[in-house]
Amino acid sequence: MFDALFDQFWSLTFSGIALGFIYVLIAMGYTMVYGVLRMINFANSEIFMVGAFATVMVSKYVFKLSNDAIPPSSFKLFFVILCCLLASMLASALLAFLVELVAYRHLRNRTTNRIAPLISAIGIGIVISEIVRILTGARTQFSPNIIPKKALATFQGAEIRLDNTITIIAGLILFIILDRFIKYSRLGKGIRAVSMDEDSAKLMGVNLNRVISLTFIIGGLMTGAAGFFYVNVYENVKFNMGFSLGLAAFTAAVIGGIGNIRGAFFGGISLGLVEIYASAIIGTQWKPVTVFIILILILLFKPNGIFGEAVQKTRV
Amino acid sequence: MINLRDKGAEFWERSNRPVRVLTVFAILAVVAALPYAGNTFLQTPVAAFDAVLVYPMGMFILMALGLNVVVGKSGMLDLGYVAFFAVGAYTMAILGTRTGLNTWEIMPIGIAAAMFAGVLLAIPTLRLRGDYLAIVTLGFGEIVRVTALNSEGIGGALGIAGIPFPPGLGFEYQLLDQKFFYWTILVMIVLVIWVIRRLTVRRPGRAWESIRQDEDAAELMGVSTYKYKIWAFVFGAAIGGGAGVFYASRSMVIAPDNFTLNTSILILACVVFGGMGNIWGVIVGATILGYLPDRFRFLSDARLLLFGLVLVVFMNLRPEGILPRKKREKAIVKKGSGASI
Amino acid sequence: MSKTILNLKDLTIKFGGVTALNNVNLELKEGEILALIGPNGAGKTTVFNLITGVYKPTSGNVFLGDVAIDGKKRHHITKLGIARTFQNIRLFGDMTTLENVITGTDVRNKVGLIGSMFGTPRSRREEKASVVKAHEILKFIGIDEYADRLAKNLPYGVQRRLEIARALGTEPKILLLDEPAAGFNPQEKVELAATIKKIRDAGYTILLIEHDMSLIMGISDRVAVLDFGQKIADDLPSVVQNNPQVIAAYLGVPEDAS
Repeated sequence: MFDALFDQFWSLTFSGIALGFIYVLIAMGYTMVYGVLRMINFANSEIFMVGAFATVMVSKYVFKLSNDAIPPSSFKLFFVILCCLLASMLASALLAFLVELVAYRHLRNRTTNRIAPLISAIGIGIVISEIVRILTGARTQFSPNIIPKKALATFQGAEIRLDNTITIIAGLILFIILDRFIKYSRLGKGIRAVSMDEDSAKLMGVNLNRVISLTFIIGGLMTGAAGFFYVNVYENVKFNMGFSLGLAAFTAAVIGGIGNIRGAFFGGISLGLVEIYASAIIGTQWKPVTVFIILILILLFKPNGIFGEAVQKTRV
Repeated sequence: MINLRDKGAEFWERSNRPVRVLTVFAILAVVAALPYAGNTFLQTPVAAFDAVLVYPMGMFILMALGLNVVVGKSGMLDLGYVAFFAVGAYTMAILGTRTGLNTWEIMPIGIAAAMFAGVLLAIPTLRLRGDYLAIVTLGFGEIVRVTALNSEGIGGALGIAGIPFPPGLGFEYQLLDQKFFYWTILVMIVLVIWVIRRLTVRRPGRAWESIRQDEDAAELMGVSTYKYKIWAFVFGAAIGGGAGVFYASRSMVIAPDNFTLNTSILILACVVFGGMGNIWGVIVGATILGYLPDRFRFLSDARLLLFGLVLVVFMNLRPEGILPRKKREKAIVKKGSGASI
Repeated sequence: MSKTILNLKDLTIKFGGVTALNNVNLELKEGEILALIGPNGAGKTTVFNLITGVYKPTSGNVFLGDVAIDGKKRHHITKLGIARTFQNIRLFGDMTTLENVITGTDVRNKVGLIGSMFGTPRSRREEKASVVKAHEILKFIGIDEYADRLAKNLPYGVQRRLEIARALGTEPKILLLDEPAAGFNPQEKVELAATIKKIRDAGYTILLIEHDMSLIMGISDRVAVLDFGQKIADDLPSVVQNNPQVIAAYLGVPEDAS
């Protein structure tokens, strides 16, 4: 049972880290929104799915990429990658903005019915995924290869693939940009202020609606990028792909301490590795259950996550 | 605008006991006669009308009543309600095909199994609030389904077939004419309504309402919130389990595919559509949402989409549900001037 | 000498780096009205939260009689006889006035889910008794005419009084009132003072947080003053009023005179 793990350890590790970065990016959508709203962005899984579809649509229909045709030249490839990445990021960001507007904004001030915004967000997520299902006929759509899966080098017998490498490097760059942004920019400070104390932030002149919208948009940009990278590595999309990936990313956010961006980084990478290793050991059919069990255990025994703030506080 | 609900409430309050009993009987008679209306404009194109009355309509009503206690009255967002339904159904399937017990003997076992599942889920998770409870309950529902899927001992992906019908008492349950199934489920629904009404107007109902509106304040007023939350869960689970036993016995075959997250969402939509916490609204809601997709085929493929829209639209625009708002206030007339009201 | 029914001993609570209460000692004597005053942020509501079990102290104890109640569950503490109102009104808005009070009286009832489900004679008796008791309390507080109105539709003054009525429903020995006169006009404050006195005369002990000095001086038997989490005075109202430390806490120390 453990043979597969040891034989392919480094190969699994690279895949795990790449998957981890995908989780980190999606987790940004959950953790940032939770930071400012104290609510889970239930529709983030669909925001991810739409981002992934955007890459497929652009590469397949705009650039007419296909596995049968001649692969594009390096320069053109670079251009294609950029366009797909931007398309995904923008599509997801736009959707995230709309989700906030429709599902959360009207309801988030209601104190008597705390579950109303959640139900509303779940509803929106369903509407989005159902629309996609009806439009695509519920079949898995295959993506053409965008970033070639060439081996760049080998390390201890494992191939270091180009697509995994780009995912890792780009994911890291995006995360660092986000981290700096939150720390140093004016908007970033506004976001942090709102997440620490909404009332004081308002008194200090922070425009709450704008901060919340922008938080959703930024989360959407990250999640969309994750969609792009996912398509590059796994080359398929389906209307319900968001569910298990969203759940895993959410778990990653909770592991790191929800609301805590750096914690989500740790959570995402760890979960990616754990998941890939576990699949090598026990196979994949229990995967959704394992993630849920991890989540439930964390919420029961360490709800603050490893680095984060308390999940709920009584306010009297 | 005639507010039917208030007119109905007025009529009820003004009537004495015999009139009330008569009214209830009249309504029950009309409802019981519904299967005979299969050839009218109510007809459903593909499935037989009387079958539709049982499933999805009757089942949705029953389950929506159960979920209503958890979500609507107590304010706990349970996204994994289908798990209790599955536990009840699998209990019926396993015991029905491997032992000599009949449906009515298995019913209490199935309900007990579902209640046990409810306790199991409730105890560790009820300390979580809102979103986290929602995700964990969602997880629970999925865990139950995936476990059933991966367990060859209970049929794996193919499920269990050959589940017997309930034994008839002087009549026979049939597949092609579902009248007896319908009347049975009607009895179950009436029973559940009766029990829920009793709980609602007494201490448990108040406890649940106070938990929903302000859990911390409720606890400080002496409400044992943890206990009542578990009760709500377990009670809802019992109803789900009972519905599951009935469902399996009628369906003859069940498989993990019958118990997906979609079902939990469908039932939730019935509760939201009907107005959370409102028994009559939920019944009307489940009736309409259960009936429409079968009546209008174009809605059928978009059923989940429709229900998702219901969730968003109703939560934002009409959280009190489709029934008009109840006018509970009596005007302060006797005590003098129309001062600050 | 009346006996002490509530005793805060060396009560300290820290939140992260902030010490909200520092070695507070306070005794509440049976049948008295004790006012807890101090500038905003001094820790008054924190004291209430510690007594009612919302927080656990970092060190020190809360004694109800001889029993340490710090660390007990909140609904249990209510059962033991401590009830409170809130600084921000926290009524059950979708319930009627009567239902709000009955939710309070429920804690003294024995019947639970099973009894209610089967409609046992005892459950019917308790229900009827609860309704009667709730009306009595509403009449006592003077808001019985609003019995069937939804709590969220009540005028502000009635809501504040309903909070008190609901707390009284739990048949407490000790009533904690957190700024019950907030937002009242002078006339309403006079009526509230009379009501609070009436409650005490009916046998309850009252711990009161308030900012209105004339209200406090008019009805309190004793006044305790908190500042930055410490008790700086604890005496008769007239004495506290003239205590230079108390004056400094509220008004600040004057700049060096010219």
